[in-house]
Amino acid sequence: MKRQTSKKVLTGIFLFCIFASILVVAYSMFISRDQEKQIYNIIMVPKTIDDTNDFWTSLIAGAELGAEEFNTNLEVLGGKSEVDIAGQIERIEEAIKKKPDVMLVAPCSYSETTEALQKVVDNGIKLILIDSVIDKDIAQSVVATDNYLAGKQLGEFARGLIDENTQIGIVAHVKGASTAIERENGLRDGLGKYEPQVKDVVFCGSSYDKAYSLTLEMLEDYPDLGMILGTNEYSAVGAARAIKDLGLTGKVKVVGFDNSVEEIQLMEEGVFQGIIIQKPFNMGYLGIEQAVDLMNGKNIEKNLDSGCKLINRNNMYEEENQRLLYPFTGQQ
Amino acid sequence: MKKERETRTLFGRFKSIQSTMMVSFSALMVIAVLIFLFIALNYTKNSIYENSINYTSQIIKQVNYDIDSYVKYLENISFIVSTSSDVSNYLYNEGQTDMEREEEKERILSQFKTIMDSRSDIYNIAVVANNGRSILNDGEDEFTEYINVRDQDWYKAALEAKDGTAISSSHVQNAIKSSYKWVITLSKALINYNNAQNEGVFFVDLNYTSISELCNNNNIGNKGYIFILDEDGNIIYHPKQQLMYGGLITENVDDIMACKENYFNTGDKIYTISKSDKTGWTVVGAANTSELLKNNKQAQMMYLLVAAVLLLGVILISSIIAREITRPIRQLRDSMSMVEEGQFDKANVAVTAKNEIGSLSKSFNVMTERIHTLMEQNVYEQKQKRKNEMKALQAQINPHFLYNTLDSIIWMSEAGQNEEVVLMTSALAKLLRQSISNDREQVTVAEEIEYVRSYLTIQKMRYKDKLEYSIEVSPEINHIMIIKFALQPLVENAIYHGLKYKETKGNLNIRGYERGDKAYITIADDGVGMDEDVLEHIFDETMKEHKSNGVGVPNVQKRLQLYYGPEYGISYISRKGVGTVATVTVPLNSRVDDEETDK
Repeated sequence: MKRQTSKKVLTGIFLFCIFASILVVAYSMFISRDQEKQIYNIIMVPKTIDDTNDFWTSLIAGAELGAEEFNTNLEVLGGKSEVDIAGQIERIEEAIKKKPDVMLVAPCSYSETTEALQKVVDNGIKLILIDSVIDKDIAQSVVATDNYLAGKQLGEFARGLIDENTQIGIVAHVKGASTAIERENGLRDGLGKYEPQVKDVVFCGSSYDKAYSLTLEMLEDYPDLGMILGTNEYSAVGAARAIKDLGLTGKVKVVGFDNSVEEIQLMEEGVFQGIIIQKPFNMGYLGIEQAVDLMNGKNIEKNLDSGCKLINRNNMYEEENQRLLYPFTGQQ
Repeated sequence: MKKERETRTLFGRFKSIQSTMMVSFSALMVIAVLIFLFIALNYTKNSIYENSINYTSQIIKQVNYDIDSYVKYLENISFIVSTSSDVSNYLYNEGQTDMEREEEKERILSQFKTIMDSRSDIYNIAVVANNGRSILNDGEDEFTEYINVRDQDWYKAALEAKDGTAISSSHVQNAIKSSYKWVITLSKALINYNNAQNEGVFFVDLNYTSISELCNNNNIGNKGYIFILDEDGNIIYHPKQQLMYGGLITENVDDIMACKENYFNTGDKIYTISKSDKTGWTVVGAANTSELLKNNKQAQMMYLLVAAVLLLGVILISSIIAREITRPIRQLRDSMSMVEEGQFDKANVAVTAKNEIGSLSKSFNVMTERIHTLMEQNVYEQKQKRKNEMKALQAQINPHFLYNTLDSIIWMSEAGQNEEVVLMTSALAKLLRQSISNDREQVTVAEEIEYVRSYLTIQKMRYKDKLEYSIEVSPEINHIMIIKFALQPLVENAIYHGLKYKETKGNLNIRGYERGDKAYITIADDGVGMDEDVLEHIFDETMKEHKSNGVGVPNVQKRLQLYYGPEYGISYISRKGVGTVATVTVPLNSRVDDEETDK
């Protein structure tokens, strides 16, 4: 009996040792495998690739830096115009054929791209929406500015510039785009009691020129207009150019979305009273980060707010805001 | 067996000393190896860290030195420009003609052009005076109207600096129209020679080509990098500056600025710090610890492997040692349990060692031997004592018998029955002689029968017609030994308890024969017999209610069984009113205790 017990102890210790060494080996193998992380293929479809547009340029730059940082392959497929919904659908379908691991898409339309994006999901490709959303909740994650909140913030700022007699016009970008809808709602809520003074809403189709001409038309229709709100870079800059050219600087107040050198100059000149800037660079970078985390099986946030900031003439030279206004990338 | 109260000590849980030793050896060794591993791994890790810190601090010192010389070089340029008479005249000489001023401007511009052509790291180069005169780059760029140059930090810093030169942190150059570039501005105060006051600034805006080159030329591993902080902890240069500015990545700037030593370790990264007195900048080298420890992994694996093998070996060897050490103890234990069971003959332990256990075994052997002899002696003595008691008893002849016999002789003499007197007296004499004659415990069956015959002769004469007896003993058993006085008490018993109460004549038959390896002598009477109750207790000594001679049936039975074993002795068959048969069984070759009897 006693001898048996000691034998049991002996075998127990023996087994423990073997078990421990197996653990060690397994652990080391796990470590070495961990080091050889897979390189993921990601395709990004922005609304547009437009060198004159700082928003999308910056977003793509952020995504590219993120791809470098997280060691992934990134391909960017984009058209020249934000209103080219058919073109974007074509590019989404082209991207599906390349079978990437993840697709980052900034849908041009709230409803018309849904079908194509459903195909992305159906093909087992992970989908992350950036900047804008669609009418169906099929994406793994959304990385965007909280457009309603941004709109509201800008609306509240605008409200402080006007009184109950001021007529207001909105130059929006693309009819049916989620960003346009949300921002307009935000703006209206931010304007509060002055909201009924919004006389007209026009859609420029994300074109500087169209925004310019629509603003001119709007001023013809409403010569007493005292405030114009632009919902993205194209609409805001187009409207501001029109005001500047008409010599109405200061008389017709302009506030708008996004950030470009031209906008900053126009703000220095006093055409813009304020702009709300998104963080497109962060948006692109975080989109890639989300994609990589998703592939690595981490828990990711369903809605990631990339943040926004209201800039006016008084705070534009503050260092913190300078960092947001002027991208550092490409200067080194 | 009483169960000892168990006091559970640390090692009391184990069922054997061997496993106790093995487990404790192994546990000790495991602890020792773990401590060793811990120290070794830590030491390796620390030395890796130390090497990395040394290496990195050399690199960043070099970077710092390079930056200092870069700044010094630019200061030299600014010195040349700011001290040139063209600049002073152009800015402060109020008594010049426009022609002269144009010429001076041309010369300054060409100087600027030369500098800018030769250096790709300069965005802007300019002189600005408090009075508003300025020359910028190639003369075509303008200062913006929305900003006053004199309010800019870099402008004020140069005027306030003791040596008149200042170098800014990273900032956006807002002063130049339509240009918003991230630059580092080196500014130098210009002295108005009219009043010897600092009333203007020469500045160059540097882009990051040179600095990033200086920082990136040096590798701190694959993942390591160098960045630069200004005096207030603002980022001047970082390889991922945009990510820093976007708040997407952060560095422990506060810790770096607070750090008194030239390095600190956050666990993930080791920051090595070098501060320049000239610029006030802090160059920081960041090394990734996981990368540094990548090679350490192999060392760790090796250590672990060696430790595992060592442990295995130790456990094997310790189990062997434990078994060897405890082997004599186990033998001792086995012997002891044999002694416990009374097996003395196999209990001897072989003494194999000269250590404590050896002497223990030796003592044990001596002890068991002693116990063994003592026990045997004890048994012998007990037996002897018993025998002696028996002897003392058997030597007695019932005195009543003697008196009665003598009375009978007297009566017979008085009656003149001389013949009978002679017969009885000679029988009594024979009887007495036989009982006293020798010390032997055993006699032959023939002798014993003779003794019985003498007894019966006397009894026959006393009871006359009431008793009839016959003796038929097969001659083969005559020589067989039987203990003395084994038969007479039975005969006596038969007469006094069986025949005496019978009204008519009683018969007594004694028969002797052999069967198998045993001899049988039966004493049968046709007396009153015994009931079962009496029969059951016939061998109980306490039932001595009858005044027979002191020997008695139980005594005979005891002696027979003591001498010959339990399968021998007396057996009774009896039926009330019919008679009783007593059978004495003895072995055929019962010469067992002959020599003892001689003692």
